Amino acid sequence: MQQCFSPGVGLLFKGFVAAAGVVGALSVAAAPQLPKDDSIVLERLPSKAADPAAAELKRLRAAASAAPESVDAAARLARRYFELAMAEGDPRYVGYAEAVLRRWPETASTPAELLVLQGLLRQYRHDFDRGLVDFDLALSSDPANTEALAWRAAILMVRADYAGARRECERLAEHSTALHATACAAYIEATTGQARRAHERLAAALAARSDVPPEFQVWVLTRLAEMAWRYGDPATADRHFRAALALGLDDNFLLAAYADFLLEQKRAGEVAALLKRWVRSDTLLLRLALAERALGLPEAAGHTRTLGERFAEASLRGERLHLQEEARYLLDLKGDAPAALAAAAENYQTQREPRDALVLLEAALAAREPAAAAPALKWLDETGFEGTRIREVAGKLKGMK
Amino acid sequence: MKFIAFLLVFLALPVHAHKPSDSFLALHVDGAAARLQWDIALRDLEFAIGLDADGNGEITWGELKAKRRELEAYALSRLTISSGEKPCVLSATDLLVDEHSDGAYAVLRIAADCSARPAGSIGIGYRLFFDLDPTHRGLVRFERAGGSAQTGVLSPEKPQLAFRAGEVSALDQFLDYLKEGIKHIWDGIDHVLFLLSLLLPAVLLFSGKEWQAARGFRDVFWDVFKVVTSFTVAHSITLSLAALSVISLPSRLVESAIALSVLLAALNNLWPVVFARRWAVAFGFGLVHGFGFASVLQDLGLPQGALLLALVGFNLGVEAGQLAIVSGFLPAAYALRGTWLYRRLLFTGGSVAIALVAAIWLVERAFDLKLL
Repeated sequence: MQQCFSPGVGLLFKGFVAAAGVVGALSVAAAPQLPKDDSIVLERLPSKAADPAAAELKRLRAAASAAPESVDAAARLARRYFELAMAEGDPRYVGYAEAVLRRWPETASTPAELLVLQGLLRQYRHDFDRGLVDFDLALSSDPANTEALAWRAAILMVRADYAGARRECERLAEHSTALHATACAAYIEATTGQARRAHERLAAALAARSDVPPEFQVWVLTRLAEMAWRYGDPATADRHFRAALALGLDDNFLLAAYADFLLEQKRAGEVAALLKRWVRSDTLLLRLALAERALGLPEAAGHTRTLGERFAEASLRGERLHLQEEARYLLDLKGDAPAALAAAAENYQTQREPRDALVLLEAALAAREPAAAAPALKWLDETGFEGTRIREVAGKLKGMK
Repeated sequence: MKFIAFLLVFLALPVHAHKPSDSFLALHVDGAAARLQWDIALRDLEFAIGLDADGNGEITWGELKAKRRELEAYALSRLTISSGEKPCVLSATDLLVDEHSDGAYAVLRIAADCSARPAGSIGIGYRLFFDLDPTHRGLVRFERAGGSAQTGVLSPEKPQLAFRAGEVSALDQFLDYLKEGIKHIWDGIDHVLFLLSLLLPAVLLFSGKEWQAARGFRDVFWDVFKVVTSFTVAHSITLSLAALSVISLPSRLVESAIALSVLLAALNNLWPVVFARRWAVAFGFGLVHGFGFASVLQDLGLPQGALLLALVGFNLGVEAGQLAIVSGFLPAAYALRGTWLYRRLLFTGGSVAIALVAAIWLVERAFDLKLL
C-alpha cells in the first residue's frame, strides 16, 4: 500500500481498505475523500517528465504515432514498454505494448521482431501455447533469433518438458556465446538431478568471461546459488546470493529466491531486513509476511491482509496469474490447507517448476490428500530432482498412502 | 542487447508485482434513478489525458481538479448506460479521490437520467482505455434498491453487460436452478446411458434363457416406474447431502464409479444377473450418481439464503429431464418390443455399445488417461 496522501488520510485509507477487503474494492460504501488542499499529493508517478527515460519514452511514442505502419517504431516502443513492465513490475506497460502491436496479426507474414514481442506478451499472460507458436513463427523467418529460442526453452522448462527445452538449448548453442549455451543447458541439468555438475559447468563458464554485463551476472549467480542449495551446500549458495546482491541491481527474482533460501535456513530476521521496502511486489510481500510471522512481528497481520486483498482484486478480473503465490499464502499464512491445495493443483496444470511442485506437495500433505500430489510425485521420480525439503515432504506423503 | 534479451527470459516468468489496470463501477438503481460511482486510476488517466501539469512526477489534487472537465468528457464519452433499450443521460456530479490496493483513484459520481423507469434490464456499454490498453477491465458492481448485488467484468471482448433492474425473485432463482437441472441431465450423457441401460429390458421378460416381449403395458409401466423412482430417490439423497457439505467424496472416485455403474447395467442386459430387482440396482447406483450431480451444483454455486430453494429446483430439473427421456423412450420401446429390430439391434446392440463406451470412460477416469 502506497501512502501518497498526507499521513493522516493515508493511514485512514489503509485501515479502511484492509478491513473492507474485497467487498470494499467494489462497494459504493467505500469512503471517497474530498482532499482539503490543492497541494496534497495523490499519486507519485514512476518518473518525472524531465527524466531522460521519460523523455525517451515520449520520443518513442511520438515516433510510433507519426508512423503507425513502421515496424521499427512499433518494435522499439513495444520493447521499451515491456522492459518497463519488468523493471517496475507494473503490468500496465504490457497492456500498452499490446495496443502498439495490435495492428500486426500473429502470422508468419509479420516480421520476426514483432512476433517475438507478441510471444513475450503472450507468455506474460500465461498463454504459453500461443507464446510458443509466436516464437516458432518468428524462427521460421529468422532461424538464428536467439531470443525466440531462449524463450521457447524457458516456456518448455516451466512446463517441465525437459527434452523439448534441451532441443531449444542445442539450437541456441549454434547461435550464441558459450556462456549462454552453458547457462541454458545447466539450467535443465540442475532440474533433472544433476545440480552439482550443472553448478561446476556454469561456474567455470562464468569464470572464463570477464565482460559479462551485471544484469546477466545476477541471473547466473542466482542460478548458481539455487544449484548449490539444491545439492545441499548452503554455504556456497549463500556466497553466490551475496555476490549477486553486491552487484547492486534491484532484482525481484533474486530477492525472492534469496528470501526462500533464508526462510528455509531459519534466518527469517535477515528476510525481514532484506524485503522491508518491497511491499509493492506481491511475490516479495508474501515472503516478507512469512518472515514476520516466523519472527512473531506485529506487521505480519497487516501484510497478510494486504496480500489477501490483492488476490481478491485480481480474482475480480477473472484472472488466475498468481496461483502459486496464492497457494503459498493460503497454506502458510491463512492455514487453509484445502483451499491451498485447490490453488496449487490448478497452478500445477500450467506451471511445473520446482517451486510449483513444492507448494503442491506441501498443500497435499497439510490437507492429508496424498492422491492430489500424484503429478508432482511423478515429476520428482522422473526427474530425480534434488532438494532436501521437497524430498522430505514427498517421503511423508508416500508414507501416508 | 543479446545479453539483456536472454536475461529477461528467465526473469520474467515468475514476477508479478502490481495488478493490471482496472476501473471500478458501482451502479446503484433505485426506482427511475440510477447513480454511478466510477473509480479510475490516476496512473491510467495520466497516460490517457496527462494530469501531471508541472512534470514533477507527482499528481496533486490541484492538478487533478484543473483537468476535471477534460476528465469527465473523456470518461463519459466512453460509457453508456441504458434502460430497456433507451440510453440514459449521464451527468457527472462530484469528483473525489480514493485509494485501491495499487494506488490513488479519481472517483466520479454520476447521475443517470433514464426516461423510462428502469424496470426491465439495465445495460452498460464500456470502452474506457481499451484503445490504449487492451488488458484494461471495467469491474462492475450492480446494486438494487433491495440490497442484492451482482458483479461483472467489462473487457474489449465483452464491452457490454446487462443486469436485471428488479429484485431477483425467489421464483426466478428457483427457475434458474430448475433449468440448470434439466440442462445437466441432457448434457450428462453418462446419467442418460445408465438410465437407458436399466430401461431397455423393461419392455422384455427374461425367461431364464432369453429375453422375450413383455405382455401388458401395466406391468411394463410399473417396472419403469419402480426403476426411475428408486434412481430419483437415491440420487436426491446423496445430491442433498453433498450439496449441503455433509459428505464429500473425491471427484475421480465418483466419476469412475459412475462409469462402472453404466458398464455393469449394460452388461446385466447381455448376461442377466439381476432382473426383477433392477429397482434395487437403480437405487444403489443412484446414490453414486447423486454425488455426480452435486459436483455440477458446486460449480454453479449455491445462493446463500436460498440454498434449499435452489437445491429443490435443481433436483426437480433433473427429474423433469429424466421424465422427458422416459416418456420418449417408453411408448416407442413398448411398440417395438416384439420386433427383431428392438431385441437384437436396439437391446443387444445398444447394450454392447453402452458397455464399450462405459468401459472406456472407466479406464479414462480411473487412471486419468485420455483414450478418445
